[in-house]
This record gives sequence, C-alpha cells and structure tokens, in this order.
Amino acid sequence: MLNTAVQEQLLPGDTLQAKWDFAQQAGYDAIELRGKGDSHFASRLDELKQARKDGVVMPTVCVDMLHFLGAFDDEQRRDAIAQMKSQLTVIAEIGGLGAQTPASYGMFSRRLPPFEPPRSEQEDREVLLTGLAELGEHARKEGVTLFLEPLNRYEDHMVNRLDQAADLIRATGLDSLKIGIDSYHMNIEESDPAAAILAHADVIGHAQVSDSNRFQPGAGHLDWPAWLGALHTIGYDGYLAVECRLTGDPVDAVRSVPAFLKRSGA
Amino acid sequence: MKTLLDRPAPTAAAALTLRRGAVRVLFDNWTGTSTVPSRTLYPHQWSWDSAFIAIGLRHLSVRRAQQELESLLAGQWADGRIPHILFNPALPHDAYFPSPDFWQSSHAGRAAGAPTAPESSGIVQPPVHGLAAWLVHRADAGASRRRGFLARVYPRLAAWHDYLLTRRDLGGGGLAAVVHPWEPGMDNSPCWDRPLQRVAPAPPDAFHRADLDHGHPADRPTDLDYGRYVRLATDYREAGYDDRATRHGFAVEDPCFNALLIVSELALAAMARDLGAAAEPHTARAEELTRRLVGRLWDDDAGLFRVRDLGSDTLVDERSVSGLIPLVVPHLPTGIVGRLRETLDGPHFTAPATRLVPSYDLTGHAFAPTRYWRGPAWFNTAWLIHRGLSTHGHHEEAERLRQGFLAEAGRSEFAEYVDPTTGAARGTRHFSWTAALTLDLLSGEHLPGGEDLPRAEGLLGAEGLLGAEALPPAGDLRPTAEALPPASDPPPAGNLPPATEALPPAGDLRLAAEDLPPAGAPLRAYPEETTR
Repeated sequence: MLNTAVQEQLLPGDTLQAKWDFAQQAGYDAIELRGKGDSHFASRLDELKQARKDGVVMPTVCVDMLHFLGAFDDEQRRDAIAQMKSQLTVIAEIGGLGAQTPASYGMFSRRLPPFEPPRSEQEDREVLLTGLAELGEHARKEGVTLFLEPLNRYEDHMVNRLDQAADLIRATGLDSLKIGIDSYHMNIEESDPAAAILAHADVIGHAQVSDSNRFQPGAGHLDWPAWLGALHTIGYDGYLAVECRLTGDPVDAVRSVPAFLKRSGA
Repeated sequence: MKTLLDRPAPTAAAALTLRRGAVRVLFDNWTGTSTVPSRTLYPHQWSWDSAFIAIGLRHLSVRRAQQELESLLAGQWADGRIPHILFNPALPHDAYFPSPDFWQSSHAGRAAGAPTAPESSGIVQPPVHGLAAWLVHRADAGASRRRGFLARVYPRLAAWHDYLLTRRDLGGGGLAAVVHPWEPGMDNSPCWDRPLQRVAPAPPDAFHRADLDHGHPADRPTDLDYGRYVRLATDYREAGYDDRATRHGFAVEDPCFNALLIVSELALAAMARDLGAAAEPHTARAEELTRRLVGRLWDDDAGLFRVRDLGSDTLVDERSVSGLIPLVVPHLPTGIVGRLRETLDGPHFTAPATRLVPSYDLTGHAFAPTRYWRGPAWFNTAWLIHRGLSTHGHHEEAERLRQGFLAEAGRSEFAEYVDPTTGAARGTRHFSWTAALTLDLLSGEHLPGGEDLPRAEGLLGAEGLLGAEALPPAGDLRPTAEALPPASDPPPAGNLPPATEALPPAGDLRLAAEDLPPAGAPLRAYPEETTR
C-alpha cells in the first residue's frame, strides 16, 4: 500500500493543523507543501515547525514560482537556484525528504510559436547540469533530495520524459538528485508510462498524481492500475502526492482520491 | 477450510517478491496492444496464450486485459476462427517459423474470411477465450460496461464457438475436432504419434525451424515430427483453409480443447445474461457438449478422458494431462470427478519433483521429462486443474497445487515448463502465461466461486444431464446431488466497484467555476493549481 499525500492548497482549512485534520479523515498520510519564491517558504519556518510538533506529516515541498533553474535569464536562474536551496534547507529542517522542481515551466514550448528557443540544446544541457549539480550538492549536505520533474511539451521544452531527466541526473553522479514523476505529464509524453517507470526505477524518488485531464485521480482516463503496479514492481516506497485541479465539489473531490487510488492498486 | 484458503503463499515477503517478478514479466512482454509469450522464442501474439495472459493481466490492468483479448479478436476470420498466431508486421519473417509467408493467410485464407491484416496462421488453439473474457469483465464490471467490452466481444466469441461446432465437428459426434497437433496447444504430445503416422513428412529442406534458434533441440519436437506438422499445414493452406474441402490427414477430438469449449460456452451464457440476451442456447450447448465429451472420450477403465483419433474412430491409448482437464467442467458427474482425482493422485501423474501435473504419463512408453509436452509439467494445465479441483470442492488438493504452482513459478523464473523428475526449469524463462497465472493465483480471486458463471442450474433437468444412452458403464456417471455445485447467486448489488463515489456525477465533469482563471489574469505561478 503506497502512502498518499495531498498538496496544501487543495485542502480546506486556514491552518496546516486544520488541513491535516481534513487530510487524515479523507485517508491521506501526508501533506505536500508549496514553496513560493522571495524566501516566502523560509519565512514559514516557525509555522512549519509548529505544525510538525502538532503531528502534521510534511515530507515534501513542490516549488510554486514563475522562474526555475533552467531560466533563460541569468538573474532569474540564480534566484531560482537560491530559492530552491532555501527550500531544501527548510524541508530538511522540518524532517522532510526533499523538494520538487521542473527545469522550467511556461517559459518555452517547441510546440508553440516561435518553435525555436533562444538557447541551443547543448546550452540548455549545460545550464541544467550546472544548476542540478549545485542543487544536488546542497541537497546532499542537507540530507534531502532534489526531485526533478519532467513536464509535458507544452509547459517545458527541456525535460519532458523520464529518460531525459534520468540522463541529466546520472550525468551529475549525485544520489541526492532523483526524478519526481507526474502521472499527468507521463501520460502525454511516455509511450508506455509503466515501462518508463521500470526503465528508470533506480532514479525515481517522488511521484505526483493527477489524471489525464489534470483533474483529481479518478476523473480522467489514466490506466491507474498499470501505473501503480509499475511503482509497486520497482519497490517504490515514497508518496503519491496529489497535485491537480479539481472537478465537481472540491471538498468531495479531494476526499475521493485516497479511496480511488487504493481501489486502483495503490 | 476457510483458514486453509486464506493462508498466504509461504510468507508475505515471498508473495510480494513473486508478485513483483510476475508483474515485471508482463510489463516487459507487453507490446502496447498485447503480450508476447516470450520476447525470444515467441515474438508474436498467440491465441490461447493471450487468453491465459488476460486472466492474470486483469489483476494488473483491466484495460490491458481487455486490450489483450480485443487485439486477438481483431485477427478473427469471417468464418469465426480465431487464428493461433497473429503476426507482428514489424518483425522479420524469419523471427518465427512457420512465418506469415508460410501461412499466407491474407491470400490463401481469403475465401475463408481471413482479414487482409494482420497476417495470421490458419489453424486455431483451445477456446479458453470465453472464460478469459468473462473473468476480465468480472474484474471490473463497471469499467467493462462503460467501455462496452462485453457487447463487443460477445458476438465475436459466439461466432468463434459456432465455427468450432459446425466446421470442426468432423467426427459428426458433436465435439470440435482439431486438425493439426499445434491446435490443441500440446504440440508434441505422444497422443498425436499414432494419428501422425498416416502423415507423410515434408522434406527437411522444405523449411527452416526458427524454434531451434532459441530452444534446445532436446526439448523441442524432432525434425521428423516437424516435417509432418509442415505437411499438414501446407495441405490445409492449399485447400484454402476450408474445413470441408480439406482432406485432413490428422483429425482428433481432444478432451482439453472440448472441456475449455464447454467452460467458455458457460461464460457466453453469463455474458448473454449480462447483455440481456438469451443464455439458454449456450447452457443447452454446454450440456450437450458435456454429454458428448463423456460419451465419446471418457475411458472408465483408465480413469481419464482420451483423445479420439477420427482417422480410425478409436480412442488413443495414451494418458495425457489433456484427459484430466475436463475437471474444469462444473457439471461433470461426481463419479467421473472422483475417478479423475484418483488418476491425478496415482502413479501416472504424481511427479517426484513437482506438484505440477506432468503433461504425459510418467510411466508411459513415450515419457521424456524435458521434451515439449511429452512429460514436462506446464503451468497453464496446473492452473486449469487447480480450477477444476476448486470447482468441485476439493479445496485442500487445490490449495496444495496452488502452493506448488507458486513455488515452481518463482524458483523457475516463470519458466515455460519444468522437468517433473528433477523440478528443473526448462524452455524459455519469463514466460508470460506462467507469470500471468501466478498473479491470478496470488490474487485471492482465483477461486471459481462468485464468478456468476451459470453452473448447474438449468443444465440438469429431471432426466439428468447425461442421457442413459450416453453413459458407458452404468451407475458411475449418473449425476447425483453432490455433483451439483451450489447454484450461483445473482451478483450482489454491491458487486460493482464503487467508482461512483470517486467520480463526480456526469454533469459535474466540467470546470468548476473556481478553476477558471479570471479574464486577463496574469500567468499563474507553477504549477497552475495554486488554488482550488
């Protein structure tokens, strides 16, 4: 049985403690935090520490910003790396496992005009390897992991599939870097999502779940038993963190997910 | 008994390891639309393999299990036959012999209704598909109904059975005959030796065996036998695969083939009932087939079913596992069930090194512990016998066989078969049906109960299932009350997975107002789901 987590913004309640009460009642095992920029996440440290004391389980944080380690702009890239380092430090401080980030989001798509990015593939790779090495080294020192999330082709032009993320991670040689897979993006990009999980089992560290239409698991047409079966097969023991939009009554939608995932083989 | 049934495989950790290994095999052998039996030895889609694979795959992905069967049915011929191989067009012709250019289905089979694509063989394999389709449906009846699975497969499966019971009733006795040793699935069984004697082999230079590129010659059929296989297939092809026009050099009635037809006919009855069609024609057929099976193939002296050679219209004096498989027929008379159990536990089939059932009589003159179907123990036949034992309430024996199956599957790395004298794995490894049926036996849902198959009800009238005229020695075969499995109950209302509680009502499958960004809103932060 895989553990499930849900991102904090999906939960009703004004405080992490209130959200945790709801999450537990719905059958979740943890909350995934969201890390905003401008050191906002670090500014929450007291809140997070208190929540931890109160028993809230918060193993991971997912970045919530507009610029990333693969940004075209040097300054934005430097800031993104600084923010991610800070988030890794905070998540380590509250006893978590790691932080998740894509290479970029909403910056460029090769499927949309003007189709050709301003930077070459080789330059993209160098930028990403440099950033990942710095973040991976920081994560290693903090005893946590940086999860690199492949996004679909419309949201990022650099890392869309597990094999691309795995290639970068293996090139750094750092154990503190893993892939943070996402069922929605995999559904678009992988020819066989289950086979991709098996093929890159050694570098998968985290998993986010949403359905084929980005709604909550159960609202789309993903082959959940196959996807979850692949995670079981590789001995994955991390979380399934719900990151999605909601359809239907939002509270009911959030509440439905743990039971749905369990029925689907989680 | 309940505690016995509830008992897990040796340890939970061992079961988990076994499950992971089995799932990996099925993932690795999945092609995107179906499963190859083996990446090396069998790189195309095989008919009865796919049925057994679907039975296991339903525990991993109902959708893949449905797809497995539907991709097979996409190769069905207009005359109803389901070919024993559908060829993957992406592979070179020499990947397997006989290859598409040997069978020439799209050309030679045109009159018989072969599709232009995919290319296939022109012969068939045992009809376990109806059972598989019903079990796949039952694994998630809600999803099956939403996707119209039964509505699509039922008419095709009914046409398949029609083909077997009309074009293939070559003996006129109401059973389906097979016309090639590959058709009953037990390709090289000694049961075929005598009928094959009448077949002049094709010369060795007329073909190249691809099976020896990956299989060990000592395990595989001899060249002489292979020459006969080629001759039979060539003759069939040259007659346009027309069963009436072909002068079949080989035609036998096989107990396993017909027993599976009976069970699948009962599955068709269940499907018909589910779809609101008449189930009775199928149950009547199952009844009649069972009467014929017993009347034509049961050998009371030997205590098992025999193969009937239609060339001489006599029973073949060999003991094969095929003769035990009719245990899966739910309304088999108690006397026969008892005799089959005795035979199963007797010297002919109690192997020294495995609980699996040898494919051929351990004491038989032709026994060969490693040669294809001439002695080795296979996992699919063990699964069928397990199902038969469970069906007839012999739960302890069934559980012993299940434990033996799981132990052998793990130890052998999901081998194709094992040597019953040493327990050594033989044939290819990571064999798909071995892995699939492992999943099924690990699932806890492997017992026939609760499948909602019509069993005895309606099959045994006041006069009994078996008319007296069909009965060999009196007494033994008369159905008795204990021959009747308990009538199955209609599916409880709660049987459907409660998918609805996870899904909003259909009308709610639109963006909730709060999901829509306000017009002109700035780009959201990553990811987009910042708020509910």
